[in-house]
Amino acid sequence: MREVAIIGVGMTKFGKFLDKSIKDLGQEAIWKSIHDTGIDPKQIQAAYVGNGLAGVITGQEGVRGQVILRHAGFSDIAIVNVEGACASSTIALREGMIAVGAGVYDTVLCLGVEKMFCYDTSRTLFALSTDTDIETMGGIGFTFVAKYAMDMRKCMEKYGWTQEHFAIVAAKNKYNGSLNPFAQYQEPMTVEEILNSRVVAYPLTLYMCSSPADGAAAVIICARKSAHKYTSKPIITIGACEISSIHLPNFQAKTPGDLDFEAYELPVKAAYEKAGVGPQDIEVAEVHDAMSPAELRGYIVLGFCKGEEIPAWLNQRKTFLRGDLPVNPSGGLAARGHPVGATGLAQISELVWQLRGEAGARQVLGRTGKGPRIALAQNAGGFIEGEPAVSMCTILKR
Amino acid sequence: MSDQKQRILIKEGWFCIPDAPGKEPYLIGSKCSQCGYTHFPKIVACPVCRKDGVMNEGPLSRKGKLDSFTVAHQGPPGFETPYIQAYVLLPEGIKIFTLIEGVEPLDNALKTGQEMELIISKVREDENGNEIIGWKFRPTTEARIKEGI
Repeated sequence: MREVAIIGVGMTKFGKFLDKSIKDLGQEAIWKSIHDTGIDPKQIQAAYVGNGLAGVITGQEGVRGQVILRHAGFSDIAIVNVEGACASSTIALREGMIAVGAGVYDTVLCLGVEKMFCYDTSRTLFALSTDTDIETMGGIGFTFVAKYAMDMRKCMEKYGWTQEHFAIVAAKNKYNGSLNPFAQYQEPMTVEEILNSRVVAYPLTLYMCSSPADGAAAVIICARKSAHKYTSKPIITIGACEISSIHLPNFQAKTPGDLDFEAYELPVKAAYEKAGVGPQDIEVAEVHDAMSPAELRGYIVLGFCKGEEIPAWLNQRKTFLRGDLPVNPSGGLAARGHPVGATGLAQISELVWQLRGEAGARQVLGRTGKGPRIALAQNAGGFIEGEPAVSMCTILKR
Repeated sequence: MSDQKQRILIKEGWFCIPDAPGKEPYLIGSKCSQCGYTHFPKIVACPVCRKDGVMNEGPLSRKGKLDSFTVAHQGPPGFETPYIQAYVLLPEGIKIFTLIEGVEPLDNALKTGQEMELIISKVREDENGNEIIGWKFRPTTEARIKEGI
């Protein structure tokens, strides 16, 4: 496999854009990512397009990527559509990376796009319920917020986490989001405001949770060795982009209430191994926190610390913007917004900006104080039974 | 066509509804004849052995233990809120997603590990008002007495 580099990134602001279609959102991110490089757009040979819900929300069930790319002014390139719920666009990145790595293409566009707002909230809720096995979950009342609530409740019992810890991490991310011009929610919030907002599913309150969002994010990738031809900016290498799906739960009867993070951990371990780094090397991370408290589970899954250590970590502000290991400088899913099919590449875009030193007011400093060199994104999509349907981890290096 | 609401099963063949007083409902799963892996709903091949032709259908335990629960204040169309979502762990090692009946939708209504039993009941109504029938769980009488609920 050839090494693969990211040479351009671009995203729309995330938010509620009733007047914008997936075509409008997609083309904006695509052209921003092109202008972020010096590439001649005619050199783009293929596009991998991740989207989760357009079929249900907009009715555009088929040929989504082709419809978007044509609107964006492209013709005669290979277009591949991928879907994996909230991990759709990280899958697009991975597929693009494999194609470039294998030498099939030299320059590839990866896009994530989602439109969740329509004029019918119940349609949006129904669409989300389809990111499960609808026969055993989505069709009989399962909701993502309740699944996260149950997981966090178990963590409270096992690790002694409290609802206040959850509000602290949510407030941290709301603050980070307030510094991010692309974020859906740019208002900082106090721990009290978050704790006192209405309970959606105990222990989760409204302001701990992501809400529907519209948006798109795109990256341009190429062979590492030719990256200098297309950009004068720091070149970001994809150290690893690993995936695991439908992990088989341990079938020995377990104790009720037991936590099992194995499905989340598998791609993380694989990514560390492939990239030749470990948790101690990570200087900034974007963690999949559809509900902010899930970021805390991320610290365990990524090998940053043990569950019992997390209250102290929060106390020491370790994962805050100026801490030793900033997590979700973008604001994470709850503050930046979670247009599900765009989230993966929004994480990647944020990390590229951080690694290049282009993240503005939310720029993290890294170990040396000269900006981070190694970054990690963790992303997951859908649920089947008790497990994530897709679990992913990407490591980027400057 | 009658105006009567119909009762529609989530899926034929996934559970057995008692046909006489004194009989109990049960879920139908499948068990690998080689390694013992058991799955609900029934599947055609064993994912541990990755082999077909080894799974045998059979009834699953009617009772399990509460793994986790929460009171959902927001749900998909067709569900009246608040309602309890939960996972119940069956002795076969299956963690099954389920709604809970028989207790108030309160944050302290249930305890991790308490004994739960299967019932077949209305899960939701469809857009035409038909009743969609499937599995749910409720605390067993013994568990109610023990937990004082």
